[in-house]
Amino acid sequence: MTGINRRTFLGLTAGLGVAGLTGCGSSLGATAVSSGTDTVKVGLVIPQAGVYTPLGVDIQRGWDLWLRQHDGRLGGRRVTTVVADEGEGPQTGVPAVQKLLQNDRVDVLVGVVSSATALGVRDLVTSARRLLVIANAGAGAITSTNRSPYIWRTSFTNAQVAAAMGRHLATSGVRRIYAIAPDYVAGTEAIKGFSNAYRAGGGTIVGQSQPPFGKTQDYQPFLSRIQSSGAQGTFCFFGGAESVAFVKQYAQFGLSRTIPLYASGFLVEGGVLGAQGQAADGVLSTLHYTSELDNPANVAFGQAYRAAYDAAPTAYAVQAWDAAEVLSRAIAQADAVDGDSLAGALDSIGVITDSPRGPWSFTQQSPRQNFYLRRVQTRAGAPVNSVVADLGPLDPQS
Amino acid sequence: MPTTQIAVTAMVNGLAIGLLLFITAAGLSLIFGMMDVLNLAHGALFLTGAYLAWWIGGEQQTWPSLARAVVAVVVLGAAAGGLLSLLTAPLSRRSHLEQALLTLGIALVAADVLSALFGDDVRATEPPAGLDGTVTIAGWSYPSYRLALVGVAALLAAAVYWTVERTSLGALFRATVSDRDMVATVGVDPRLVRGGVFVLGSVLATLAGLLGAPIYHARPGLDTTILVLALVVVVVGGLGSIRGPLIAALLFGQVESVGRAVLPGLASFLLFGTLAAVLVVRPRGLFTLAPGGRR
Repeated sequence: MTGINRRTFLGLTAGLGVAGLTGCGSSLGATAVSSGTDTVKVGLVIPQAGVYTPLGVDIQRGWDLWLRQHDGRLGGRRVTTVVADEGEGPQTGVPAVQKLLQNDRVDVLVGVVSSATALGVRDLVTSARRLLVIANAGAGAITSTNRSPYIWRTSFTNAQVAAAMGRHLATSGVRRIYAIAPDYVAGTEAIKGFSNAYRAGGGTIVGQSQPPFGKTQDYQPFLSRIQSSGAQGTFCFFGGAESVAFVKQYAQFGLSRTIPLYASGFLVEGGVLGAQGQAADGVLSTLHYTSELDNPANVAFGQAYRAAYDAAPTAYAVQAWDAAEVLSRAIAQADAVDGDSLAGALDSIGVITDSPRGPWSFTQQSPRQNFYLRRVQTRAGAPVNSVVADLGPLDPQS
Repeated sequence: MPTTQIAVTAMVNGLAIGLLLFITAAGLSLIFGMMDVLNLAHGALFLTGAYLAWWIGGEQQTWPSLARAVVAVVVLGAAAGGLLSLLTAPLSRRSHLEQALLTLGIALVAADVLSALFGDDVRATEPPAGLDGTVTIAGWSYPSYRLALVGVAALLAAAVYWTVERTSLGALFRATVSDRDMVATVGVDPRLVRGGVFVLGSVLATLAGLLGAPIYHARPGLDTTILVLALVVVVVGGLGSIRGPLIAALLFGQVESVGRAVLPGLASFLLFGTLAAVLVVRPRGLFTLAPGGRR
């Protein structure tokens, strides 16, 4: 009896499992139909808790502002946005994406701040055949060695941002540089991207350090090494709270007076700039955007953004704004919201000429875009990154 | 000679960081060693002190704002200590795990409340005029605030040492550890002693947060970072004395400063490597009281 029972039970479970799987598959397949041809459901994956929360806020603002200015429609379809909390890394980010795909059955995913999360959801997104437009995560692998045809990026690659500075410094007479960045992927890619471009231009890296990420509160030991290295300048990449600690301590130890700081633009972008105060004054950095860009699209964008949120726009907000822009064009062109149609449409989208960041286009699913040399200055009582020079376009895999 | 400069600067810096670490860990060690309560909300108290420094002083402290901030963190630290004492009292006969769960819960709630009050951005504050510049040590500039921190923290450390080891109040604390019934017999309510230790320990934590604010900057997540550092100091220093955590904190100040300057490639392993090494040699910490009395 028990044997039969067990066998029956196993059979039942197997049957249920299969039914569950097919049920799941068919419901996923039916999503496009249930969405209809006049609506699209978008899952916005952004950090709502933890250290990256300020970036999540900016991304949501850029996204909301674009929709508000475009009648809440992407490519003519009415948008429903479902927000999920990405948290600080893949342990929260992957379940968030899974929930959006399986419970909320979204048509398209937008967002993702952490590169580890972006790499972690690759297989999920690919097997669901849904489009993911990354609005921040900058690891090179996302659109190169680990690429998926369904994952596109409107932000940057870490190496690209750093290479812009390397190329610029090599031609500006600074011959000896010390490079420092945290010992995780983004930091390593920044140092590599910078060093390659800087050395190619004839510069010398006189030393480099990679302080433990998230475990360094005091940079004094590293500052000593910079001081004794004989460098003419320091190239650095730090994000979030670490960028505040590094910039402040660099100034507190008097280094900013003798060895100028050059940076990947995230060091001084967004909320951290306010927290750095006087210490950030004069820092030169490269990035694909600054709120001070003087082009018609950015002037209009800046005015609308300030009116809506009483804050200056950031690169993170523009990345989300542009994600909405390219999605809208792709949906209008494809007249469908499945991953294959949208990826195909993005592939033929051409140059986006009216972005606040200036003209850009997709190259290997990531932006080829102009980089700007920026200097931290105080304007009307608030620190901003003023434009020093347009450094011209760079490919994502530089 | 850069080598001398690196060594001197690193040692001075190690002293500053070590003393700050001692002020942070001393409260945790007192409460754990004397009242046998593992207070995982200690990091949240530190962060509260750091946020108060920013909230009262803004981005640039002045001397009056610093004075107001000191009063505020002492009052708030004392209130928090009293509250923690009341909350943990019903669990005083229970296991460490249950106490840890309670204080961890308090820490999580406190972190969310702080995040709701002060936002998720970094709240940095600069020391007041006169301490916001640099001084020259061995030919290199060094922040004057960190040098002043050495003096202030050393004074605080001496005061704590004196209170616990040399005054009748300290004797009462130590007597309660050894035999609380005897303390009750001589007419002192052990619950008051317990509250006193909690208040002292918590005030030290919020004061450390205030002192550390210009170096660490108030931000979400700082509470756990600080808690881990303080726990490492307590584990290495041993429980129940002031000398233990003092020497452990000074040791880790040098490890974090000199160690990272000399061996940057091993930077991420130095802290816990040292912890492991000490535990292999002295599993009960450097200075642990023998059970039931002083060694």
